[in-house]
Amino acid sequence: MAHRKARERDMLDSVYSMLALVFILVACVELCDAATVVDVYRLIQYDISGVPFGSRLASLNHHAGSLHFSPGADLSRTVVMIPVRELNISFVTEYVSRKHPLGGMLFLLPEIFRLENGGGGKDVREKEVVKNVLLELEKLLVHAKLPYPVYFAFENDEIDAVLDDVKKNDATGQPATATTGGYKLVIPIAEPKKVASPTITNIQGWLQGLKADGDANQLPTIAIVASYDTFGAAPALSVGSDSNGSGVVALLEVARLFSLLYSNPKTRGRYNILFGLTSGGPYNYNGTHKWLRSFDQRLRESIDYAICLNSVGSWNNELWIHVSKPPENAYIKQIFEGFTNVAEELGFKVGLKHKKINISNPRVAWEHEQFSRLRVTAATLSELSAAPELLESTGGLHFVDETSFIRSVQLVAESLARHIYGYQGKNIQIFADNSSLAVNPSYIRSWLDLLSQTPRVAPFISKNDPFIMALKKELADHTDEVIMQHEVLDGMFTFYDSTKASLNIYQVASVTFDLLLLLVLGSYLIVLFSFLVITTRGLDDLISLFRRPPSRKVEVSQEKLANDNYECVMV
Amino acid sequence: MTVFHFFNCAILTFGPHAVYYSATPLSEYDTLGTSVKAALVYLGTALVKLVCLATFLKVSETDNFDPYQELLKALIGFIDVAGLYFALTQLTHRNISQNHKFQAVGLGWAFADSVLHRLAPLWVGARGLEFTWDYLLQGLEANANLVLSISLAALGSLMWLRKNKPKTLIPIIYACAGIVATMPSITSCVKNSTCQYPYYSDIWPLQLFEAGIGMAISKGGRL
Repeated sequence: MAHRKARERDMLDSVYSMLALVFILVACVELCDAATVVDVYRLIQYDISGVPFGSRLASLNHHAGSLHFSPGADLSRTVVMIPVRELNISFVTEYVSRKHPLGGMLFLLPEIFRLENGGGGKDVREKEVVKNVLLELEKLLVHAKLPYPVYFAFENDEIDAVLDDVKKNDATGQPATATTGGYKLVIPIAEPKKVASPTITNIQGWLQGLKADGDANQLPTIAIVASYDTFGAAPALSVGSDSNGSGVVALLEVARLFSLLYSNPKTRGRYNILFGLTSGGPYNYNGTHKWLRSFDQRLRESIDYAICLNSVGSWNNELWIHVSKPPENAYIKQIFEGFTNVAEELGFKVGLKHKKINISNPRVAWEHEQFSRLRVTAATLSELSAAPELLESTGGLHFVDETSFIRSVQLVAESLARHIYGYQGKNIQIFADNSSLAVNPSYIRSWLDLLSQTPRVAPFISKNDPFIMALKKELADHTDEVIMQHEVLDGMFTFYDSTKASLNIYQVASVTFDLLLLLVLGSYLIVLFSFLVITTRGLDDLISLFRRPPSRKVEVSQEKLANDNYECVMV
Repeated sequence: MTVFHFFNCAILTFGPHAVYYSATPLSEYDTLGTSVKAALVYLGTALVKLVCLATFLKVSETDNFDPYQELLKALIGFIDVAGLYFALTQLTHRNISQNHKFQAVGLGWAFADSVLHRLAPLWVGARGLEFTWDYLLQGLEANANLVLSISLAALGSLMWLRKNKPKTLIPIIYACAGIVATMPSITSCVKNSTCQYPYYSDIWPLQLFEAGIGMAISKGGRL
């Protein structure tokens, strides 16, 4: 008997454990049945010396709302979906400056800005209007601290349908909350963590000049430098085709042209040419600073001058040369004259701008200032007439104009060549069109295409990112002694990860709907029950169901009476 | 909140079975054993049907209405009838009246059908955040299926258990039994011909109607 009971207990235990296992398995089923799933890109989150900026949260689980909400509505549990096409920048400014509580923001960018659609001149006018709005928006968001998630997404049919629905709901005056149904936006992502040691990678290459026999002195060097990384509001979308993609491609094309010249000892010049692709541009040219510090003193002294390229792709008829040494300086005069002569021949103007360096101010506005701080003569060639502010978005929306870009490359190459080969002031075109040394438009186009589709925010690129490898390989094709230098970004800047996520949009029913449904179903079951009792057992039975307690009391009292009578009789 | 929705759909799908059991005299006569046995017979029938369908039916790439395939499906539907025959006649039931026997068998049959066909989609789908009407319609279909099963069991008991049947009603009984047995094929025919139904379970009013006719005939036959 005990044996059988023990066996029964074992069987029961096994049954229970089986049931538990089944329940666990079933509960682990992925509930990914959203109406829509969209790729979204998060606003950048960073600290400067501990001061927080950008969007501080990543995960999202709130109802969707639109801009047509009734004034005074509580939006602290709503994600506002804002299409940039209809953006009223004052609304965003007000919300950000007054620090209103908000569940989150989702900006919808027009489809034409998608990375895959590339640069291109299609619909330029439409892009112009949105571009200006986007630039203002970027400037506002990047310098504000937002304690809620902010995301960017591209418009498509599904999300447009959702937005229309949400607008309709909002127009009726009902804000979407748990009790009124609507759409729910969910981004299931972990809390953003600091990027541990953001690396910046500098790539350098040399073209050795021709040393005369018996000359023990080191040849002078000319350096050409461009920074290749970008910064923007959405790091996963910051492609910067003009700034500074144009600088990078100009450097590569100049490297290609000079490698053709230097491959033959008869046309090799008496100067070394140093090409530098630096990172850390937006962060006070941190990469350039570390790169220069890694040089030894002799090398630094042998640099005759350095030309830094910054945004040379979309100008009309004037380029600027920015210097930090006074224009009366002999070297500066020489450089400037060389550039002006070539520019005149090519048909445009070059202006000179002088900006003094303030050593105590850590802010470095132009790349050449890093050279000047180490007493190397340098200048920056750029289409911008004024330096961008710290972390001002590097205008990733300007598309490169091919003709002006080719002219910039020709300017740089010719001026350099005339200086190297000693043809200053003479009217000789070394890189003439339709010659074997002409600027190659298809080379430029393919590299510009690549750069306009690759987001390159430095803390989010690893050491061995394919793009960096591609740059290194390309430079190695044209130059010798290509060295990559990996450094850690200046500790003043801290970045947080989670730049890309996928958004699930669910259409949810309100709690009142569920309660109503419960009520309806309850009454349906009760009606069914009564109907069945009446048809099968009769109406009396139904009534007797409710009258049982009193009838039992009557029965009990009757029984008691009968017992008492019996006792009396017994006695 | 979404578990709430799952709970709602579950009571819509399985509630009527429990209510039917407790409201009618079935609970007084303790016919639970019969219902459980009928459910097991349904399970066996479903497996046999599955094997037959897999063996004899071709997977059609197009959505066209193929009369031969539909005929084959209807024939396989008669396995259902065979299973019901087995449950009504061959299983040993305790001494319960015929009246209660067919009700218990029909109830067990319908409950097993609901659990097998509707529990898994309900568990997986209704708990998500996304709201669709599908599961409520599925519950309504379960209700219609209950009526259908009980009427089928009633007709079955009329056909096989009653020894003295009124002569006039015999052909009608058999005709109704045939119609009710091939109900799935009829609903798919209707679905193919009138293609504007977005949800396939909009057929349930039709099912209820047919089941109601069967129920009426069986009630009339018992009088």
